[in-house]
Amino acid sequence: MSTEAMVVLAPGPSAEAGISHSSRARRWKPAGVVKALFLTGIALYFIIPMLAMARFAFQNVPVALLSPEKLLSGWSASGLWTAVTDPEILSAAKTSALLVVCAAALNLALLLPLAIVTEVRRPQLRPLLSTITLLPWVIPPIALVVGVAATFRATVPWFLASDFSLVPFYALWAMPFTYRALDAGLRAINARTLYEAARGMGASLGTTIFRVIVPNIAAAIVAAAALTAAMVLGEFAFASLLLKRTLPTEMVNYQRGDPRGGLALALLVMVLTALALGLVVRALRRRGLDVQTTGL
Amino acid sequence: MTSVEMIGISKQFGVSVALDDFSLNINSGELICLLGPSGCGKTTALRVLAGFERSDGGKVLIEGRDIAGEPPERRRFGMVFQDYSLFPNMTARQNIEFGLKVQRRSAPERRVVIDRMIDVTHLSEHADKYPHQMSGGQRQRVALARAMATAPRVLLLDEPLSALDAQVRETLRDEIRRLQLEFGVTTLFVTHDQHEALAIADRVGVMSNGRLEQVATPRELYERPANAFVAGFIGTVNRLPARAGNDGRWEVLNRMILGSEPGDPGAAGIIAVRPEHLAIDRRDPGDWRVDATSFLGPMSRLVTSSPEWGSLLIDIPSIDAADLAVGSRIGVRLRDDVDYVTVISGAAHESTAQR
Repeated sequence: MSTEAMVVLAPGPSAEAGISHSSRARRWKPAGVVKALFLTGIALYFIIPMLAMARFAFQNVPVALLSPEKLLSGWSASGLWTAVTDPEILSAAKTSALLVVCAAALNLALLLPLAIVTEVRRPQLRPLLSTITLLPWVIPPIALVVGVAATFRATVPWFLASDFSLVPFYALWAMPFTYRALDAGLRAINARTLYEAARGMGASLGTTIFRVIVPNIAAAIVAAAALTAAMVLGEFAFASLLLKRTLPTEMVNYQRGDPRGGLALALLVMVLTALALGLVVRALRRRGLDVQTTGL
Repeated sequence: MTSVEMIGISKQFGVSVALDDFSLNINSGELICLLGPSGCGKTTALRVLAGFERSDGGKVLIEGRDIAGEPPERRRFGMVFQDYSLFPNMTARQNIEFGLKVQRRSAPERRVVIDRMIDVTHLSEHADKYPHQMSGGQRQRVALARAMATAPRVLLLDEPLSALDAQVRETLRDEIRRLQLEFGVTTLFVTHDQHEALAIADRVGVMSNGRLEQVATPRELYERPANAFVAGFIGTVNRLPARAGNDGRWEVLNRMILGSEPGDPGAAGIIAVRPEHLAIDRRDPGDWRVDATSFLGPMSRLVTSSPEWGSLLIDIPSIDAADLAVGSRIGVRLRDDVDYVTVISGAAHESTAQR
């Protein structure tokens, strides 16, 4: 899921890079040719499986029977329609949407004040924070889940029974992305002098944060939330281990009964996530705010 | 009207000393420039005064009252930064209004103050622009208006002109001074630019390595630098060998003169003399040879040398230098009205204190 988010969030630069490389290739510079080949290779590596997936999902012709004259026959979106109207899928999608909102909210509630205070008051602690926010990825999901489950099943069993028990996992799991997005945003606006200017004029900490800092890092905050959303919509391990019915786990279940419909659904979710992220980035660019995802 | 006293302030960052027993008084309504090379501690002094840095020792008194425990937001100081630090999400007008809102002033009252600030800083055409729509000079004027709008007790300017180009810098410099005098606000102005400091300040404090070397009016600082660092940092100086007489005065170019510090009788030393404090004698062709001349408008600069004394820069009125050819022999003396030189080395206390 991480690669997906990165690829989607950086459409501008990579597209531009592609153009400049191909124009260089036309002048037959060896380095340009190598770059163009390399980029084409990577693009094919991602695109071919997706095209194959789309064909399988929407064309009801087994691979063994494929032939040139059958290229246009058997196409149908009925599998997708059945999948998206499936009550189990719909309820899982609702759960996932709720998880997205809660995880993004909790993640921001934890990291935003921390990132701001670190930047304006103790910038020397930034490398430490950068390391700490990477820690969730050092621990494999299975270890995290087993540890947490063993602890909470004995003490607060209702917590693990609820779908919302996934929220803390997701909020932590998104930290490596979101902290970097917020940190880049804060550094881009020179948050420290803005903070000092506001405090010097007598503003309280709260006024400074909510009237001065937050409005100016709106782009970074939205980017952080979008990254959390992309992650939650693709996360399988935690949900599966805790036996929750989220969109990813339900999609796997559904695919067992209807492989075509399941894949069509997966494709739809992927396209929708990409579109949503693309729209967010574009809206922010139009407001003159660039999404910084440096450090990813 | 507010007076400021900083007494014996010290501040260390790790092993580096930013301020070392730093003491400075700013009289009510006075503009003081802190001048020094980068890393000399001048910005740290300003930040300690503003409350953004806590000093390791010493006291800061405002009107005689210790404000050590007061956080920056309670000090009622106005600040202007090098990088403007305007709030990007607010227009010029809203930026100026911010501090007034924080002070909970009523809307009509705010409007009166904002209109006045916009008027005195000539920003009426730009009042509704966002920072990114304005030039550097305009942004810094907004920052100045914003800092002054809240009627601060002390105005702190941290290299406010350093990011601007030369012409804007000069205009804005004069504007800052005009406003400062108009509002009568006690001001500390930090800069590394000596021309800026000499042009704008009532008094200038020259700093190096966390210490205040000399605090004096611009003229005094230039004419009578207290030590080698100040002499070398401001303007141009020649180094000349000298010998101490029996009364502690120094013999320089065959004249006895008062030095910044007395010397042990007979001791050899080095003193600093400004190029324009020297005069030439053409009737008495001495040991000095003119190596080069350059025309600087009203003044001309001669590069001269002698086998015994080394080389010297001399500034004389261009009218006197008109027919002076390279290679000609001249005599050099101190101008008659010069009554003070700065001792670079050889002072009496050095031999005892080993400083």
